Amino acid sequence: MFQNCAYPIREATVSAYEDVWQQLAQSGPFWSGADRMAIVREARNSLQCKLCSQRKDALSPAAVQGEHDTVTELPLAAIEVIHRIRTDPARMTKSVLDAARTAGLSDGAYVELIGIVATSVVIDTFHQSLGLPVPATQAGSTAPPLGADPTVEVVDGGAWVKIAPGDGELNEIGIPRQANIVRSMGLVPAVIVLFFSVMRQAYYISGLPIAISRSQAEFIAARVSALNQCFY
Amino acid sequence: MHTLLLRGSGDFELHAVMDNQLESGVECGELLSRLVDAIIGGSWDAVEQLRGEALHSMGTQQAVDAMAVAAAFNGITRIADATGIPLDAGPAETTATMRDELRIDDFEYAEKTRKFDRVTA
Repeated sequence: MFQNCAYPIREATVSAYEDVWQQLAQSGPFWSGADRMAIVREARNSLQCKLCSQRKDALSPAAVQGEHDTVTELPLAAIEVIHRIRTDPARMTKSVLDAARTAGLSDGAYVELIGIVATSVVIDTFHQSLGLPVPATQAGSTAPPLGADPTVEVVDGGAWVKIAPGDGELNEIGIPRQANIVRSMGLVPAVIVLFFSVMRQAYYISGLPIAISRSQAEFIAARVSALNQCFY
Repeated sequence: MHTLLLRGSGDFELHAVMDNQLESGVECGELLSRLVDAIIGGSWDAVEQLRGEALHSMGTQQAVDAMAVAAAFNGITRIADATGIPLDAGPAETTATMRDELRIDDFEYAEKTRKFDRVTA
């Protein structure tokens, strides 16, 4: 990964991204490795989906019905979630999750799927920003999903899905040590590890691992949040 | 959350987070804003040009790191948007006035549901 890149990419970043890319191809709790790679392909394909394009142009995405352009055999409920969160995160609503539940997608499967899409978005966006092609997807393991972790503990924390419990402790800047964003995928701890393995190459709430200033990093973070209309 | 952290990192014009026509006071903020807007908008031709500007103005490693941060937040915002997590207890209280002033509360989940679950265009 990052081969022939004209710019300096830290060794730890290359290593973390490569490890995560390999892990994405392995079976997780709710999706096989082949499924997880299909989720990445579907997320990429959504950017050319005609229905998603029509929805982006509409005042309300719910006003436009139709079928997505797909490149995988994933369940339709999963395809709807993938396309919505990849192409129009600013207008994501709980109704998307509710429809997925009605169609039979478990909350665990939903959370793992979201984590995979988000991870692939980080990897693809960084590559594209550098002028590099996105990494080629692999076939992925056909081993069946591993099943939910029976030791997982989750609570109702006011999110759409149950989240990991917090310890109530604050860090040195008055923010919960276990922020809700870290707790949000508590139903699937493995995908928390997966996502934050790439996230932490660029950002920590205390101690940045990068060469720009805290104010520059927070300005970028806040601007991206505004563009994606992220309330959190 | 990150507007709060930006506020905590110095004396900046926070409205620039929501309005890229405003000067933030952040070093290279105007360039960063244009670069981030192009990245998140998927305007890769514009990114190519802005990347060149950033490499020249900020330095190579700094420009690469800025793009890495933008990429990271392009992913993590989707997790928040898809799980509907509430603000953390402390920041929810300390950012109330700021969220109202900057219209960040327009992004609140109930408000999005009201606007974006309408089945008529």
